[in-house]
Amino acid sequence: MRKLWLVAKREYLRRVKEKSFLFAALGLPLLMLVIGAISAAVAVGRTDDRPVGYVDRAGVLVAEVLPILGEEEQGFTELRAYPDELAARDALVDGEIQAYYVLPEDYLTSKAVTVYYSDRSPREGASGDFRDFVRRSLIAHQEPEVRDRLTTGLDLVIRSSTGQREVSDNNAFALLLPLFAAFFMFFSIPTAGGYLLQAVTEEKENRTMEIVATSVSPVQLMGGKALGLMGVSLTQNLVWIGALIVGVVIGAQFVAPLRGIRMPWEMVGLALLYYIPTFAVIAGVMTAIGAAVTELQQGQQISGIINMIFMIPIFFIAIILSNPNSPFMVALTLFPSTAFLTIMLRTALSSVPLWQLVVSWVVLIGTAAGSIWVASKVFRMGMLRYGQRLSLGQILGGLRNPRAVLQKETVDHA
Amino acid sequence: MEPTVRVAHLSKFFGRFQAVKDVSFEVYPGEIFGLLGPNGAGKTTCIRMMLDIFKPDGGDVTVFGGTMTEDKKERIGYLPEERGLYDELKLEPTLLYLASLKGMEGPEARERLEMWLKRLDLYEDRNKKVQELSKGMQQKAQIILTLLHDPELIVVDEPFSGLDPVNTRLVKDIIEEQRQAGKAIIMSTHQMYQVEALCSRIVLINHGEAVLYGEVSKIKRDFAGNAVTLEGQGDFADLPGVMEMRRDNGAWHLALAPGTSPQDVLRALATRDGFKVERFEIAEPSLDDIFIHVVREEGGSAEPEVAHA
Repeated sequence: MRKLWLVAKREYLRRVKEKSFLFAALGLPLLMLVIGAISAAVAVGRTDDRPVGYVDRAGVLVAEVLPILGEEEQGFTELRAYPDELAARDALVDGEIQAYYVLPEDYLTSKAVTVYYSDRSPREGASGDFRDFVRRSLIAHQEPEVRDRLTTGLDLVIRSSTGQREVSDNNAFALLLPLFAAFFMFFSIPTAGGYLLQAVTEEKENRTMEIVATSVSPVQLMGGKALGLMGVSLTQNLVWIGALIVGVVIGAQFVAPLRGIRMPWEMVGLALLYYIPTFAVIAGVMTAIGAAVTELQQGQQISGIINMIFMIPIFFIAIILSNPNSPFMVALTLFPSTAFLTIMLRTALSSVPLWQLVVSWVVLIGTAAGSIWVASKVFRMGMLRYGQRLSLGQILGGLRNPRAVLQKETVDHA
Repeated sequence: MEPTVRVAHLSKFFGRFQAVKDVSFEVYPGEIFGLLGPNGAGKTTCIRMMLDIFKPDGGDVTVFGGTMTEDKKERIGYLPEERGLYDELKLEPTLLYLASLKGMEGPEARERLEMWLKRLDLYEDRNKKVQELSKGMQQKAQIILTLLHDPELIVVDEPFSGLDPVNTRLVKDIIEEQRQAGKAIIMSTHQMYQVEALCSRIVLINHGEAVLYGEVSKIKRDFAGNAVTLEGQGDFADLPGVMEMRRDNGAWHLALAPGTSPQDVLRALATRDGFKVERFEIAEPSLDDIFIHVVREEGGSAEPEVAHA
């Protein structure tokens, strides 16, 4: 176990220090940060803290609600009343206010409001604040319960017929997270696969296999490498998710819908439950390819095709969107290499029946165990075959009788 | 004394080809044991079975008094024939990582590594990438890796390849030191003079079978009479029954073919004209002579046909 951790630690530290990893892990969040910063700078550039004036010729506005609104909402725009349009216009010309609104006498029937400004329209926040002021004034005479109900609005909850899945306005993140998880996986598969493949072929290319094989068992070696690389992949995803959370928290200061969202932990659990065995399947396949080829380049050609098998659901995203519960989607859910992505995408849009989750997970676990078993056999067969490829026929033959495959190599080196 | 390694009736098939047939030998602490044989004879297969890289089809391997375990691997230093280090990585961290897999970690590992790097004149190169080192330097790095964790059993396959005479002498001294420290050393090499200089006992494997096994001095005594030393004037070429001739310190060393006695050579010389014999004596054969004699007696090259397939 100690050696497994040693191999895992070395593999992990080595990869996370690589420029390509730093670029992949930090590049995306940095890009998001730059875009966010530019957007914020543009928004901040438009900030105008001056008050907004109003002239209430209809007599509907209730100035007493302003302190309440100020308490409820941070940064609520200061609204200043003017007795007539002349006084408001003077204030605007003097630059005391950024704009002023005029509610005409027939406002309750015409619903028309006029806004006056000098060079720039009032900022969006100011317009929204004035709208809130008008609404709150109009319902000021209602009973407190009715007022509260009208103020809060409704929380629309969309629930699937089975009751397993629900999306409400307050947990939109639950909708986004599976989509993010699916796309993270989509980007992770080739990276993780590439690292795993490299991890196996480097021992062959550098001819260190015999030294390593007499220090650790094949299971410790490959298990350690897979574990270390899973850590690398998780780190990358955690950096991305962490950046996303930070982005949401910061964004919530500016964008109202981002406030009040909560982390759908059950979704995170489901993603992890599928991620680990899916990674084990990829690790097994890449180990087998790495052991069968002589150079990394050969392996990359094969692994490119294998990666596609894991990423199929992304190519059928249109079908998932239009009909997430079609028989084809059920098949992709149950198929081990496509289970993770399909379930994540289906979960984002619909609900996946419990039986499908259980069956696909059991099949996935079985495939993971099988792929690790095959990988360890192929690894033993191919580990000392420097400069020689294993053909598919040899692999299949070797799985039945491993000794036969070793013949030529051993005689050459004996 | 309990042997460090006991190989009993070992055999190994690869498909229908039998690479190792009923090979037995023992290696004791404090000895350098020569594992000899022509290319393709089955030496590496024997080593790999001994180290649990391959599973034998027959026979037993006993290491440190029992079967091989993961813990016992930490007590073994192995310099394989097919060797290399991680080209892209720096020398020092590479050696420390591989030593950690042998259970040698922390300050002790660093201390020992520093000592070995200095001794083998690689200390200044410790921060270089492996690929920047010369072949000889890489070979010395491999030797450090073999010995860094202070193993009790040392298996070295062609330890002198790629080394200049100075470094060959250095490595030879190190191997001898390890023997004196009580380590059991198995050395596989084709450099017979090194075997003669270092090994007390040998096993010679040909076509997968042990054809010679025992003390070097006894084997040489047993083979006395299969070579003669000759000094004189004239042409000694084409003497019947002579397998190989070589000039050594002004004298001719004649290795005799199986079935040829020194008397046969003397008789042939007596019947020839045009030369003068100044010295004729039965020579103690070198291991080289014995090797060639035994391998030829066994029948041609030891390379099995499969190797050329």
